[in-house]
Amino acid sequence: MINHWTFRCKDVSDLISRSMDEKLPLKIRMGIKFHLMMCHLCLNYKNQLNLIRKAVLKLDDDKSIGNEITPLPDQARQKIKNHLKNIE
Amino acid sequence: MNQILSPPSTWVDKYGDYLYSFALYRIQDDSLAQDLVQDTLAAALEARERFKGTSSGKTWLTGILKHKIIDFLRKKYREPVFEDNILETHEMHDCFDDKGKWKTGPEKWASNPESLLEQKVFLNIVKKCLQDLPKRPARALALREMEGETTQAICKVLNITATNCWVILHRARFLMRKCIETNWL
Repeated sequence: MINHWTFRCKDVSDLISRSMDEKLPLKIRMGIKFHLMMCHLCLNYKNQLNLIRKAVLKLDDDKSIGNEITPLPDQARQKIKNHLKNIE
Repeated sequence: MNQILSPPSTWVDKYGDYLYSFALYRIQDDSLAQDLVQDTLAAALEARERFKGTSSGKTWLTGILKHKIIDFLRKKYREPVFEDNILETHEMHDCFDDKGKWKTGPEKWASNPESLLEQKVFLNIVKKCLQDLPKRPARALALREMEGETTQAICKVLNITATNCWVILHRARFLMRKCIETNWL
């Protein structure tokens, strides 16, 4: 059994990801918090994962600055048009 | 407010690019994304009487595309696939020493990290890194972050256990972060 007060960075990186998907038990949350107070590397890790989450969402927003629409290639465009014409 | 659906002959030019980008961002495969756009528009053609006009044509078509993507993933992963070993974690283990400490830890990316979200160069790196991930982790991450699916729902669609779902998301985030760091710093 892992002692919650002596989480290793390797465990914490895993738990940080897991905490983004579900609520972890209080003991585990406290263990992470305690680790983060002393470990700026894991704190960077946590902040960066949150930043990536925001960036991924932002890229999905069609009004976002980073979102460049990828145009449908001409060949595919024509193929789909023909297909729709055939089945209409 | 009743919205009107434009004639099907205009759909490809009007919505094609948007739907294609939407699918590509979630599936990370050009030709698959093109097929999904075609399937979506074909399904919409058949179902166009059911368009109620309560949302825009774009929203309606996007809804159909979302279903098509989930259907595709379900079928794709129904049988065990070996395109990527989801438990392949050596690239994570290599980042830690014997005591489980970072060998070279996450560096700070900027004095004000939130400002990175306003930088096109940074966002483009994020986009590229997502495309470069192994397929299944990338798709798991897309379902989780873009569609807000729960891990329970994701593991059903991708045909993996709940534990593997956490592993796959952990791996996706770990690799994304590393890729961004390599390309940004």
